[in-house]
Amino acid sequence: MTKGIHKITALSLLVAAGILMQIVESFFPIVMVIPGYKIGLANIAGLYALYAWGPKEMTVVTGLRVFIAALATGTLFSVSFILSLTGCTLSIITMTLAKRCGWFSIYGVSTAGAASHTLGQIIAICFIYQQFFMGLFLPALTALSVVSGLCIAWLTAKLLRRLSPKTKLA
Amino acid sequence: MKKADKILIVFLLAASVLLLLPLFGRTEQGQYAIVRVRNEEKMRLPLNQDGEYTVQGTLGDVHIVVNDGKAAVTQENSPHHYCSKQGYVDSPAVPIVCLPNETVVTIEGGSSLEDTVIQ
Repeated sequence: MTKGIHKITALSLLVAAGILMQIVESFFPIVMVIPGYKIGLANIAGLYALYAWGPKEMTVVTGLRVFIAALATGTLFSVSFILSLTGCTLSIITMTLAKRCGWFSIYGVSTAGAASHTLGQIIAICFIYQQFFMGLFLPALTALSVVSGLCIAWLTAKLLRRLSPKTKLA
Repeated sequence: MKKADKILIVFLLAASVLLLLPLFGRTEQGQYAIVRVRNEEKMRLPLNQDGEYTVQGTLGDVHIVVNDGKAAVTQENSPHHYCSKQGYVDSPAVPIVCLPNETVVTIEGGSSLEDTVIQ
């Protein structure tokens, strides 16, 4: 009983932290040559849930985070919400598979997730706007997603080492 | 870091470089700036003729300036103003995209063959 309550509380805290990171990050868009690039700090919550519990918990945390953050910023069912949702769905699937197969450490899983998130968003943009040369941004965004994937993995590994030292990171 | 991680990272970086390569093949000068709203061609601006134009985007008017063989979006309504910050563009490989206004400015060559290639 107490264990279940502990888990629910921890997951809710993760969702709340994820929402906060997503909203705060949207205040500071890194305006560069590439539009639409973000580090994706909110993915720390999802990656943490994946390693501390499992794929099911990650899906719950990421799904709730995307939904509630959109509700809070008033972008529910808008284009950015759909982009966020497609990216997250694809990255959840990829990260689950990457962790299941056991070849990758947390760095590989996070990088694969970030790259597939980018790919999902580009595909969604191409479908929504019917403008296929948005794919021109794909190379630069893929390269940048490696950077952000490694950053997220590093931060999450640090968090896991402090908060649940028993988790296997390999 | 495992070996598979490094292989994945190298693979992703190599893929992004490979995806980038075809863009360098299209370095020829364009002759027109095509303005599209919701993928519908609204204007075809000759680049050798300076001028200011306005098109109706989703969030309001989008101002487009052609100057010195280059085209730029100068004023528009959008949250981050990416397309006005982008400045002047003269390469067919670099479109000006304003997704909030669903407006796209691309540089294209004059021949009809070129158009079908880009489409």
